[in-house]
Amino acid sequence: MGEPAIAEKIQRRFPGVSVSRGIPLSVSRPAGWCLGALRGCLSELSGDRSRATLTLAFELVFEAQAGGEPVAFLSSTASAFFPPDVAATGVDLEALVVVRLADVLKRLRAAVHLARSGAFGLLIIDLDARDRVPAAALTALVGHAQQHDLAVVFLTEKGRGHPSVGSLIAVRAEAVRKKVSGKVRHVCQVEILKDKRRGPGFLRREAYRGPAGLC
Amino acid sequence: MDRLACVDLAAFPLQLLLKRHPEWRGAPVVVVEHDRPHGEILWADETARGVHVRPGMRYAQGLSLCRTLRAGVVSRAEVEGGVQQVVRLLQAHSPEVEPNREEPGVFWLNASGLVPLYGSLEVWAREVHRALEEGGYSACVVVGFTRHATYALARAWQELLLDSVAVLEDPGHEAALLRRVPIACLGIPPDIQVTLSRLDVRTVGEFLELPARMVRRRLGDVAYRQYRRFAGSLETPFDPAPHPVPFFETTDLDEPVDRVEPLLYLVERHLEVLVRRLAARDLAVAALLIELTYARQGEGTAEALHRAAFETRRVERVRPGAPTLDPGRLLELARLRLEGLRLEAGVVRLRVSVRGVKAGREQLQLFAHRRRRDLAAAGRALARIRAEFGDDAVVTARLRDGYLPEAEFAWVTADRVVLPRPGGSHVKQMVRRIFSIPERLAPRSRREPDGWLLRGAGHGHVVDSMGPFIVSGAWWDTSVHREYHFAETRDGSVFWVYYDRPVRRWFLQGVVE
Repeated sequence: MGEPAIAEKIQRRFPGVSVSRGIPLSVSRPAGWCLGALRGCLSELSGDRSRATLTLAFELVFEAQAGGEPVAFLSSTASAFFPPDVAATGVDLEALVVVRLADVLKRLRAAVHLARSGAFGLLIIDLDARDRVPAAALTALVGHAQQHDLAVVFLTEKGRGHPSVGSLIAVRAEAVRKKVSGKVRHVCQVEILKDKRRGPGFLRREAYRGPAGLC
Repeated sequence: MDRLACVDLAAFPLQLLLKRHPEWRGAPVVVVEHDRPHGEILWADETARGVHVRPGMRYAQGLSLCRTLRAGVVSRAEVEGGVQQVVRLLQAHSPEVEPNREEPGVFWLNASGLVPLYGSLEVWAREVHRALEEGGYSACVVVGFTRHATYALARAWQELLLDSVAVLEDPGHEAALLRRVPIACLGIPPDIQVTLSRLDVRTVGEFLELPARMVRRRLGDVAYRQYRRFAGSLETPFDPAPHPVPFFETTDLDEPVDRVEPLLYLVERHLEVLVRRLAARDLAVAALLIELTYARQGEGTAEALHRAAFETRRVERVRPGAPTLDPGRLLELARLRLEGLRLEAGVVRLRVSVRGVKAGREQLQLFAHRRRRDLAAAGRALARIRAEFGDDAVVTARLRDGYLPEAEFAWVTADRVVLPRPGGSHVKQMVRRIFSIPERLAPRSRREPDGWLLRGAGHGHVVDSMGPFIVSGAWWDTSVHREYHFAETRDGSVFWVYYDRPVRRWFLQGVVE
C-alpha cells in the first residue's frame, strides 16, 4: 500500500526518523453527495427556479432508511412533500417522522429535540425563502450532529450566488432539474458549491422520471 | 501543493482489454460497446487504425475492413476496478492520488516534497512510469504546476510521441507550453472542434484569446468549462482517493495458547468491534484474515519447535460467500479454519483484520437491528415536541384511497418511531411539493400577447403544458371537476396546476421539485 511503501523509503533514506502511520482525513468520509459524506455536519441543499431539492433530499432519506436509520422531515404547515410520490421512490412513509410547524424557530427547536435524542440518522429541515436561521440554533445542531453522527440537511430556495444559511454549514450543494430532449426527459444535477472537508466541485447528473402525467 | 504530476493512460479501456488478452498485443484490437455485430467501436489501437478501423464504426464494419480484428467489451465496473488498481499502484509513489472522475485513465499525483527522497522529480517521474510499465500499462507522466496544464501536456506528449516523462521547470514554462497544445488532443467534443477550426482556433493559446462571454454563448457550457480550466479560473481543490483503511485488532497473549477455543473467543471479541467499525462506514466484511504468531521457544514437541523456528507466523484467510456484517457467520468460518490447524507451538499473538467492501442495503439492514440508535429515545423526543407544540406537530403520512390529490394521503399523529423498511430499490422519480391550501391564480385573459404568465413575469410565460388530467366526482354532493396540468414556465419551473370548472378558476396545487 501507498503509505507503508513511502514510510519505508523515508526510513531507508533518513535512518532514525520516525514516520507517522496516521490515516489521512479523507479516509474517514466518502466523497460526493451521499449520506456518508454528510454525517456529523450541517449541509444545505438549495435551488432556485428549476430546483430538484425535494427529489434529491428523498434520495438521502432512502439511503438512510436502507441503512436502518430513523429519519425526520421538518416542514412548514403551508406545504409539504406529496406522499404518494415519495412512496413511489421506495421510501417507507410509516417510518418517516414529519414535524409540521409554521414558525421556523419552532421548527428549529423541534430539530434540536430530535438531534439531542441521538436516535435519528438524518434530519431534513425544509425552509421557506424568507426563513432565517439563528446562529445559536446552528451551533446547537452542529454539536448534536457531531456527537451522534447525524446528518442535518437544510432545504432552501435560493440561487447559487446567495450565501448559505450560516457559516456552520459544512457542505452546500445546488440541486437543479434540467429538461432534455429524447427518451430521458428530466435530469437532476447536484453540484457541491462548498465543502469544508473535501473542497467543492463534485457534480453528479442522473436521469429521473416525472410523476404520473409528467413525461 | 507546489508541484503535481499528471499520469495519462491513453485509451484506458483498450489497455485493460490488452491486459486481459495479452496474446492480442500487436494485432488489430478494438473495444466495442456490445458483443454484437452492431456494437459500436469505442476504442481502436494503432494497428486497427492503420487498417482504417475507427471509433464510431460498427463492429461488423470493422470486420469487413480487417478480418483479423479482435474485439472485446470492457464494462464500467471493469474500468472502475482498473482505476482503483492504478490508484493503489500510484499511492506507492505519492501520498495523494486523484483519479479524474470524468475521464478514466487520467490521474493527478501530489509531487510536493518528494525531491529529498528521490533526488529529483525526474527520477521520481521515471520510477512512476517504470512501475506502471511493470503493471502492464502504457503511460505518460508530466510533472508541472497546475492540474489542467499537466493534463493537456500529457495528452499532447502522447499524440506527438514524445518522451513519456516530462518535468516542467517553472509555471511560466508550463503556461508557454500549454498555449502551444493542439486543441485536437484534448478530447473536446467533435462539434465544438469543428466550430473552433472554422474560427481558425487550433491551439489552447488561440482558444484562450477568444472572449469568455463569446465562448459561453456560442460554444456552450462544455466548451466554457474547458476554457475556464485552461485559463486557470476553475482550479478545484485536490481531491485524493482515500487510502485503504486498515481494520484490525491485535492481542498479545501472556502465555502461549495451543487450543482453539480461547483463540476463537478472542476472534469473536475482535470481530464484534471490527464489524461495528465497518458498518459505521457503510462497509461489509469481504474477507477475514487471522494472523497467528507462534512462540519461538517454549514447550512442545520437537517437531513443533522445529516448525516454529521456520514458521513463526501464519495467516489464515477466510471469505464469506457474500460480504456480510454478521459476526456469527464469520466466526463459524473462522472456527472451521482454526480447528484444522495444529497449534502445538503455542500462539503468542493474534491479529484479526478484515477487508471491507461497500455494504449492500440488506447487510446494513441486518446490522441495523444492533445499531446504536435508540428508538425509545426517539419516542421521548417526539413526546417533548408534542408537549411543546401540540399533538398535530408530529405526524406521519399515510396513503389512502382517494381521487383528489389531497385525499390520497392523510397526516396521522405519530407517537413512536419504527425501524424503517424501505422498498427493494430506490426508484428515481421526481417528487412534488403540495400546498396545503391550493393557491388561487389570477384569471387568464382572452388575449395573452406574452403567453400565460402563470406566476408573474419573474418565471416567464408557460412554454409547455401537459394535460388535462381530469378528476371529477362527488356529483351527489358538491360536484368536483378539476383539469390538472403540469405547466412549465420559461425559467424551467414545473407547476402543478388545475382548472376548477365549477369555480371557473385556475389553482396552483404544487410544484415539481
